[in-house]
Amino acid sequence: MNPSPAVAVTGLTVRHRRTVALDRLDLSLGPGVHGLLGPNGAGKTSLIRVLATVAAPSSGRVELLGGDVASHRDRTGIRRRLGYLPQEFGYYPSFTVREFVAYVAWLKELPADRVPAAVERAVRRVGLADRIDARMKTLSGGMVRRAGIAQAIVNDPDLLLLDEPTAGLDPEQRVDFRELLRELGRETTVVVSTHLVEDVAAACTDVALIEAGRLAFQGTTAELTSLGGESGAPDDSTTHAVERGYTAALRVHRASGVHRASGTHPKEALR
Amino acid sequence: MTTPRPEARATPGPGPRPEPGPVPSRDAGSPRPPWHVTDALALRYAEGSAPETDAWSLEKHVESCTPCAARVSAAVRASAAGPVLAAVRAELLTSLGHRPAPVPVSASVSASTPVPVSAGRSPLGRWARLWWAVGPALRGSWVVAVVLVVGGAFGLAHGAGFQGAGSLLLAVSPILPLAGVAVSYGRHADPLYEITAATPSGGLRLLLTRTAAVLAVCVPLLTAGAALLPRVAGFPGAAAWLLPGLALTLAALALGSFVGCRAAAATLGGGWLLAVTGPLLAGPDAADAGAAVLASYLSGSAAQGGWAAAALACAALLVLRRRSFDHLEPR
Repeated sequence: MNPSPAVAVTGLTVRHRRTVALDRLDLSLGPGVHGLLGPNGAGKTSLIRVLATVAAPSSGRVELLGGDVASHRDRTGIRRRLGYLPQEFGYYPSFTVREFVAYVAWLKELPADRVPAAVERAVRRVGLADRIDARMKTLSGGMVRRAGIAQAIVNDPDLLLLDEPTAGLDPEQRVDFRELLRELGRETTVVVSTHLVEDVAAACTDVALIEAGRLAFQGTTAELTSLGGESGAPDDSTTHAVERGYTAALRVHRASGVHRASGTHPKEALR
Repeated sequence: MTTPRPEARATPGPGPRPEPGPVPSRDAGSPRPPWHVTDALALRYAEGSAPETDAWSLEKHVESCTPCAARVSAAVRASAAGPVLAAVRAELLTSLGHRPAPVPVSASVSASTPVPVSAGRSPLGRWARLWWAVGPALRGSWVVAVVLVVGGAFGLAHGAGFQGAGSLLLAVSPILPLAGVAVSYGRHADPLYEITAATPSGGLRLLLTRTAAVLAVCVPLLTAGAALLPRVAGFPGAAAWLLPGLALTLAALALGSFVGCRAAAATLGGGWLLAVTGPLLAGPDAADAGAAVLASYLSGSAAQGGWAAAALACAALLVLRRRSFDHLEPR
């Protein structure tokens, strides 16, 4: 639909002191819900932070929504159209949910006359409408997370980045949340970092699998599932199939990584 | 709203997607034509005479379109149901313990002006925005600390009869704005820091707004406090701390662009305290020596000129480093 995809990353490298979090990563994402999978420490949060423009890449080129994040002018424009839920985020405890979401809307430079309606809509979409005037400190963990999702979508972002959004949600809330994800993904580009394979199976159209700072697999959820092959088990489910695909993709990537550059990558050389 | 909406049915049901088939359509390249509620439809909806399908479309649309929502609620308020709605709303608010909001009343009087439905509850009043802009420092213990320092100086001067209270206040004044900056911005001070860093208003603009708020509290309070305390002959006046305070604050921002605001403020504040209290450790005439050192830092055009030059230099460095606040500060 667009001449340029919402996310176009080439040769992205991120270093934290001595460790390499992302290693010459190339990635291109269009509309849809993209599940970002990978083992702990694979670089998912580092990637989301770069895409959220809060972390600067050590090298490489990052284009979001047609703009270059290295340019200040483009970055400001990108940030108006961005929604970001950090993995861990704080809040002012005495703010109500309405104030918290409106505060972020104000920071995102939403026109003041649109803010009240946008706030109520965002809070309603995450199912917190009945607690909109409750103070943040009175909310449970799952409710705080949903308030966090509400602040991320309050400006109807064209690019929505969610780092572990389902952590702390109970199963029923997770089902509702996946429904919301699918709805959002019809028009915008949504990137969801998660370690829950069932999130991917239920809500994601596409999957990017990251391992040791490199892209191990990218394709549709169906393609990942087919990598896992058939299972003879009678209790087989979609989640199991995605899990098998995930494991198979990782195994293939690790094998090729060792052949390609044995010893150059510390994490891969260990295996 | 519990009315079934046709759009909602297009959504895939909850639970895992059944088969690994083709990727569901994403409505690629089909922006919806801009559709808005006409006055005629709003009127029919308010009267309850709109066809059911039109009513569905309208209800779905006003969820996301403020102007149309305002038009529809104005139409409903102007209809026969208007007074009833206003009465129900007032009763509900009273039963919940709210003061009756003035907005619905005035809105029902001038029903023709489109008023957003939730304007009465808007958290975005001018004062609210100002309150938000000032950041965590003025909500937290910092403002208490400033008041305590000024109050403590008055207590020393008038309660204990301590003549040097004014100089003591002058000596600590420059580090109070530093402390305010340290608790205003950055990963250690602002719980919303990572979220604000991803917004167009975050970064240097937010930091400068909050620093200005800190100075707006500090400057009048500390200067007035020092002016009202008994003067010591030959000692600099109450305003003598202003330029050093400004220079140190700007230095904290400039240094903060490298190491983070908290570390920068701690370094500079500690440095200032050492420089001021250092002579006190020296010898028997320590108190006099300390006062003399403080006077030499603050008195005279040479010292004040030096502070002014330092403030300018730090401001220039801050301008050069302005882009460094666009990203998360170093850990």
